[in-house]
Amino acid sequence: MFHDLAPQLFNGLVLGAFYAIVAIGLSLIMNLTGTINMAHGSFMTLAGYLAYSLVLRGTSFWFALIAAPLIAVIVGIAVERTLVRPLYRREPFYSLLMTFGLSLMAEEIFRLIWGPNGVPFSAPAALSGAASLGFMTFPTFRIFIVVVLVITISALAFFLTRTRFGLRLRAAVQDTEMIAALGTNTQVLYAVNFGLGIFLAGIAGVLAAGMLGLSPTSGNALLMPAFVTVIIGGMGSLFGSIVGGLLIGIAISMTTLFIPAASEVSMYVLMAIVLSVRPRGLFGEEGIFG
Amino acid sequence: MKVRRDLVLFVAIVVLFACGPLISPLVHIDLSILSEVLVTTLAVLSVNLLLGYTGLPAFGNAAYFGLGAYGAALTVTYLHVDFVTAVLAGAVAAVAGALLLGPFLLRRRGIYFGLLSIAFGQVFYFIAYRYTDVTGGEDGMNFPRPPFGPGIAQVSINQVQFYYISLVVFVVAMIAFRAVVRSPFGRTLIAIRQNEARVRYLGLDTDRFIFVALLISALMAGVSGALFGLLINFAYPLELDWHQSGNFVLMMILGGAGTIWGSLIGALIYVIGKDIISTITPLWQIFLGALFVACVLGFPRGIVGSISALRRIASDDPEDAASNEAFDVSAPIEVGRGV
Amino acid sequence: MLEATDITKAFGGVRAVDNVSVAVREGTIHALIGPNGAGKTTFFNAISGFTFPDHGRVTFRGTDVTRTLNWRRIVMGMGRTFQTPSVFPELTVDENIRLGVRAHAKQAFQLRAPRGAAAAAVDARVDELLGFVNLAAHRGRLVAELAHGSQRLCEIAMSLSTEPVLVLLDEPMAGLAEAETDRIMAVIRDLRQRLGLTVFFVEHNMRVVLALADRITVLDRGKLLAEGSPQEIARDDAVRRAYLGSEVLERV
Ligand SMILES: Nc1ncnc2c1ncn2[C@@H]1O[C@H](COP(=O)(O)OP(=O)(O)O)[C@@H](O)[C@H]1O
Ligand SMILES: [Mg+2]
Repeated sequence: MFHDLAPQLFNGLVLGAFYAIVAIGLSLIMNLTGTINMAHGSFMTLAGYLAYSLVLRGTSFWFALIAAPLIAVIVGIAVERTLVRPLYRREPFYSLLMTFGLSLMAEEIFRLIWGPNGVPFSAPAALSGAASLGFMTFPTFRIFIVVVLVITISALAFFLTRTRFGLRLRAAVQDTEMIAALGTNTQVLYAVNFGLGIFLAGIAGVLAAGMLGLSPTSGNALLMPAFVTVIIGGMGSLFGSIVGGLLIGIAISMTTLFIPAASEVSMYVLMAIVLSVRPRGLFGEEGIFG
Repeated sequence: MKVRRDLVLFVAIVVLFACGPLISPLVHIDLSILSEVLVTTLAVLSVNLLLGYTGLPAFGNAAYFGLGAYGAALTVTYLHVDFVTAVLAGAVAAVAGALLLGPFLLRRRGIYFGLLSIAFGQVFYFIAYRYTDVTGGEDGMNFPRPPFGPGIAQVSINQVQFYYISLVVFVVAMIAFRAVVRSPFGRTLIAIRQNEARVRYLGLDTDRFIFVALLISALMAGVSGALFGLLINFAYPLELDWHQSGNFVLMMILGGAGTIWGSLIGALIYVIGKDIISTITPLWQIFLGALFVACVLGFPRGIVGSISALRRIASDDPEDAASNEAFDVSAPIEVGRGV
Repeated sequence: MLEATDITKAFGGVRAVDNVSVAVREGTIHALIGPNGAGKTTFFNAISGFTFPDHGRVTFRGTDVTRTLNWRRIVMGMGRTFQTPSVFPELTVDENIRLGVRAHAKQAFQLRAPRGAAAAAVDARVDELLGFVNLAAHRGRLVAELAHGSQRLCEIAMSLSTEPVLVLLDEPMAGLAEAETDRIMAVIRDLRQRLGLTVFFVEHNMRVVLALADRITVLDRGKLLAEGSPQEIARDDAVRRAYLGSEVLERV
C-alpha cells in the first residue's frame, strides 16, 4: 500500500489543481456579482463535449484545447448578458436558482446530443505515455495537465495584478459604485469577468474529460469539491483557492488510498476543521460579504 | 376580518383534500401523488421559514429531508419499529443533523450562508452513497411500510390510510407554521430578513433566532422526508442531494416566498406537473430547468405573492393594505449592487 | 458613562480612526464633528460593537465592552441610530417600534403572542414612544412610505424602545430640511430633559451642534483634533483650519 503513496499523492495534486481552477472561476463570478454559478459544471462539460466533437471531426487535440473553452465562453457571455444580468439587482439567491435551472437543462441537452452514457475522450498519442522521474513514473498526460493548469493560473494572476483591466476588475470587487463613477463600464467588466470564469472552467473541462471521463454529469462532479475549495481557501482569495484545492486534492487522494469509503467525507472534515479555526477560510478577507 | 378569511380558506382546502380519495379517480391522479403533495408541502415550508421569512438562502434542506427518510428507513429495517416511531426517528435524525451543521452555518449570512448550506448539505449524501453496507449505497434501501402504532396488530397501512395520516400531519403543520410566523418569534425572523443589523441593535441575539429557526426547519423537513420515505417505501441518496434542495426552493418561489399558501401551491404544481409531464415525455428535466429560469426571471413573487400584490393595489383601505404587507414578505428585494 | 480609550481602526492601509480617546459624561449632550471621511461613523461602529477596534478599550457604565457583542451592549443600555436610517421598511411604524419594546420585555423569543397585562404594557409603551417622536398619526403606515425625516424619528423611537441610558445618533439631521431639523433638535433636547438620557451624536451643521451640545469632540482624518466646550471649540484655531473654506466657518 505504501509504495502507492507517491503516485497517489501526485494524483491528489492533479485533482487539487482541477478543484483550484474551477474554484477560481467560481470565485471570480461570485465576488464581482454575488452570483453562485451553479451552471459552472455544465460549462466544463460543454467544453469537454465540444473538444470531443472537434477531435472527432479531425481537428487536433491542441486546437480543441483552446477552441472548445472559447466557444464555451461565447455561450457563457451570451447567457450572462441575457439571463444573469437582469438578476444582479436582486438578492443573490435568484441568480443561484436561475443557474441551477440552466444546469438541469444543460444536462438533459448533453444527453440528447451526445447520449446518456458518456463518451470516450482520450489524450493524444504524444501525451499518452508515461514519464520517468527516476524514482518513479508518472502518466505524461497528468504531468501535462499540471503544466497547463499552472500556466493558466499564472496567466490569470498576471492579468489580474499587472494589466489595467485586471486591476479595474479587482477594484470593482471592492467597490462597484466607485468604479462606475470613475467611468469604467461596469457592464463590460461583468461580461468579461463571467467569460473569464467560464474560460477557466472550459480549460479544466477539456483536460478533465481526458483524465476523469466525459458524461452529461461529469462536470458537476467537480462542482461540489470546488465549492468546498472556495470555502476552505476563503472567498475572494485566488491564492486561497489554490491552497484549498491542493489540500482537498491531497485529502481525497489519501483517504481514497487508506479509507476509500471516506474519500468525499474527508473534504468536509477538512472544511469543518478550517472553519472552526478560521471562520472566513484560510485566506478570506473580512467584509466583502457579511 | 382577515383572520376569518384565512380560516374559511383553510377549512375549505382541508375539506377539499379530505375528499381526495373521491377526487383522485375523477382527475386521474393517483392518491399516492396527492399524499406526496401534502408531504412535500412540509419540506417546502421548511425552506420557506429560512429563506422566505428569515432571508437565509437555505439551499441545503434536502439534507434534513433525506436524514428524515433514512432515519425512518434505518429504524424500520434494523429495529423493526412502527410507523409513528419511524417518523419520530426521522425527525430526530434531521434535528440532530441541524444541531451538527448549525454552528457552522450560523457564522455567515447572505450568499456565504448559501454556499455553506450547499456544501455541508452534501456531506450526508456522500455518507449515504458510500456507506453501502448499511444504507445500500447508490441503490438506496427498500423497506416495508410498518404498522401504525406499537400496540396495533401487524396490519400495514394502506394507501388511503396513509393519505389521511399525511393530511392530519399537514393540517397540524400548517396551523403550527402559521402560529410560528405570526408569533413574536416569527415577527423577529421577518425583521431579521429585512434588516438584521437593526434587530441586533434592538438587543436581540440574532444567531439564537436563526439557530432555532434552523432547528424548526430541520424538524419539518425531517418529518416530510420520513413520510416521503414511508410513502414510497424507499430511501435513496438523491433525496439528500443538492438537486433536491434546489427543487424545494423552486417550489417555494413558484408558490410565493414568505407566504404559507405559496408552499402548498408550489408543491401541488411541482408534484402533479412532474407526474403528468414525465409520463408524456422523458424530457421532464428540461421543463424543470426552464421552470426555474422562467420563475426567477418572470415571476419572482410567485403565485400567491402576485395575487396578494394585486389585491393590495386593488384595496382602498390603507390599514388592510398595510397589514397584508406586514405578513406577506414575498416582494423580491432589490439590492443595489451598482448595476 | 462611556469611555473610549486609544481607539484605532484601519481598513487596509487606511487608518480610519487613529488613536482616538473620548469620554462621554453622564447626563451630557456630546457632539462628534469633523469633515466627511474623518472617521466619525467608524468610531461609532467601534464603540457600539458594529465592528471591533484594532486597538484600544471601550468601557460602558464601568464595564469593559471592547469585544462585547453589539446586541449585548444594547441590553446593557446603549442605543444607536445609523447614518442612513436603519429600519424595517416593509413593516409598519407601529410594528417597527413594537419589535423593540417586545425585545426589551423579553417577549421576542416567545412562540405565543402575549395577552392581558403583558400585552397592554407593550401597547402602552408603543403608544408612548410614538407620541414622543410625534408619529402617532402615521402608526399604520409602512416605514418605506414615510418621508426621510419621519424615518429618522421612527429609528430614534426604535433605539429608545430598548430603554437605553446612552443613545448614539449618527448624523440624525443629514439631508433634512430646516423645519425637519428643528423637529429632531427638539427631540434630542427632550431626550435629556424629559428622559434624562445621555446623548452622543454626530453632526455636520455647526448651528445645531453649538445650540445643542455641552461638549464637542472634533475628528479630522482619523485623528482627534480638539475637544472642549462649544465656546472653546468655536475659538480653536486648529478646528477653524480644518473647516477653512467651508460655509460652516462663517457661522461660527
Ligand atoms: N468598511 C470600510 N471599508 C473600507 N474603508 C472604510 C470602511 N468604512 C469606512 N472606511 C473609510 O474610513 C474612512 C472614515 O469613514 P467614516 O468613518 O465613514 O467617516 P465619517 O463618518 O466621518 O464621514 C473613510 O476614508 C472611509 O472610506
Ligand atoms: Mg459618517
